[in-house]
Amino acid sequence: MALIELRDINKTYDNGQPLHILGILDNYDTGTYHLAGKLIKDLSENQAAEYRNRMIGFIFQSFNLIGFKTAVENVELPLFYQGVPRRKRHELAMEYLEKLGLTQWATHFPNEMSGGQRQRVAIARALITKPEIILADEPTGALDSKTSVEVMQLLKQLNKEEGITIIVVTHESGVANETNKIIHIKDGIIGQIEENTSHSAWDGTMMK
Amino acid sequence: MRIDRDTFREILDSLLRNRSRSLLTGFGVFWGVFMLMLLSGGGNGFRELLEKNFEGFAHNTCIVLPSETTKPYKGFQKGRSWSLNLTDVDRLRNLVPELETVTPLTSLWGESVSNGDRLFTASVKGVRPDYVNIETPKLVYGRYINWMDIQEDKKVCVIGKKVYKTIFPEGGDPCGKKVVMDGVYYQVVGVDYNEGNMNVNGRADEAITIPMSTMSRTYNFGNQFQLLCFTAKEGIQMADLIPRIRAIIARNHYVHPEDEQAMFMINTQVLFGIIDNLFKGINFLVWLIGLGTLLAGAIGVSNIMMVSVKERTTEIGIRRAIGATPRQILWQIIAESIVLTLVAGMIGIVASVLILAGLELGMTEDGILQATFQVSFGVALLAALLLSVLGSLAGLAPSLRAMAIKPVDAMRDE
Repeated sequence: MALIELRDINKTYDNGQPLHILGILDNYDTGTYHLAGKLIKDLSENQAAEYRNRMIGFIFQSFNLIGFKTAVENVELPLFYQGVPRRKRHELAMEYLEKLGLTQWATHFPNEMSGGQRQRVAIARALITKPEIILADEPTGALDSKTSVEVMQLLKQLNKEEGITIIVVTHESGVANETNKIIHIKDGIIGQIEENTSHSAWDGTMMK
Repeated sequence: MRIDRDTFREILDSLLRNRSRSLLTGFGVFWGVFMLMLLSGGGNGFRELLEKNFEGFAHNTCIVLPSETTKPYKGFQKGRSWSLNLTDVDRLRNLVPELETVTPLTSLWGESVSNGDRLFTASVKGVRPDYVNIETPKLVYGRYINWMDIQEDKKVCVIGKKVYKTIFPEGGDPCGKKVVMDGVYYQVVGVDYNEGNMNVNGRADEAITIPMSTMSRTYNFGNQFQLLCFTAKEGIQMADLIPRIRAIIARNHYVHPEDEQAMFMINTQVLFGIIDNLFKGINFLVWLIGLGTLLAGAIGVSNIMMVSVKERTTEIGIRRAIGATPRQILWQIIAESIVLTLVAGMIGIVASVLILAGLELGMTEDGILQATFQVSFGVALLAALLLSVLGSLAGLAPSLRAMAIKPVDAMRDE
């Protein structure tokens, strides 16, 4: 994700549509990359906001739900910025919450939920705009091991069933082991790239 | 940004769900408006209370009081007494066309007026009907002295409120009843409820007013009288006329034209001018203080919004990360500021209006309002307009700062 300085990435990620990354994500000037076939360069703030809204779903380590909004309102928010009417927004948000098994938590505020539930709300929020790609920054960093596994299962399932590319940044080898491809980055430079379709790259020891 | 119910709900949610923050922010503006309205209404009310003292008294009146001369003139020694007479009235009317009303007044002090065994010591005014242009009576019963009374030297009188209450304690319409003064019976034709504290020859409520011709005959004044009152026409400064008037009267009586003590002139225009200026000053101060307080409130809003934007960096970062444009963020913060200012301001207006209404209630005497303390609708509207302008200005700096927040800021902190 953006926090990591990518100095040397030139890779294509497949989910049917290629993702081409070259240069530094956080600084549009030094490199170019394509996202879903669109050149991401010299975007106006409005275009950038539009792409963020429609193409990318974000999942954060600390969930980043808005504290004074209920679960369903948090999930609705991306659609609010798309200008979707309130009623439709609400229906869709409920649908996604149901998908993640959170229907009875819809009217609860984030601080009334457990970490796993919050992260699932955040995932619902990332999913509601049907993005091309989900960027997950340490999605399990604030969760216990049991919930971590659940969240990772969920992400894998999304990748499999919805065909959404999911990029996960993590320090945990157990989490990395769940992914299909592992890119090692050290001091911003890509080291080893492994295909990991068998999910047996590590036996649970720390990544080096 | 779209302005619809949805956007409004979003803003309202942000404000209502962060209640203590909103309350703190709004209080400054509430207090500013509250003070502004209260001061302006209160100032207005006190002016009206003060003006009540001059009620019914023409603002451009001048009164001439003859007194002993202090300067020798044309062979006369100083210390000579002199009186005004009816030729002065005619001369002034003919020679000073700028004057509206010129009316003589005869007066006596401490005369006993009685009705049966009820007695009141009143001052007596002998007037012509045009005296109403100097002191306007507030007649609750009957009529004032008219020209017919003058022509026929009728023995009629108009009595003041206090006289009426004392000698007619049973109340009711006293018109047609007789009162006695110095052995002469006068028929009551009217009751004057004027209670202003500005009067010629004693308070109006303690006076008995009779036709001047009747008074002159009864008390052998001849064509002499005690006081001369006149008003200037609209737009004419009385002070400009006074030297001419002084000269005309002085020549008629061989009084030195510069002998100010022999011919004392009271110009109410000067007096009212002073009071007018005083209230203009007070009004200016009221608005200065009110606007200052309001401005301080708005700056308070701006400050707290600034802090709150800082505090909400993560929230705004999240909003940006999930697709809010900088303009949407800008508008949200400005709109929050406007809504907050407006709502707090409206509450301020309502609270001050309620308090002013209570003040009016306390000031009501016998169901008659003594003074209006209430601010006008126009003033309230102006205040509301001012509030929305202030609100948007207050929101400007914080919203610009909010606009600078990048999506990546959502991941910082915490």
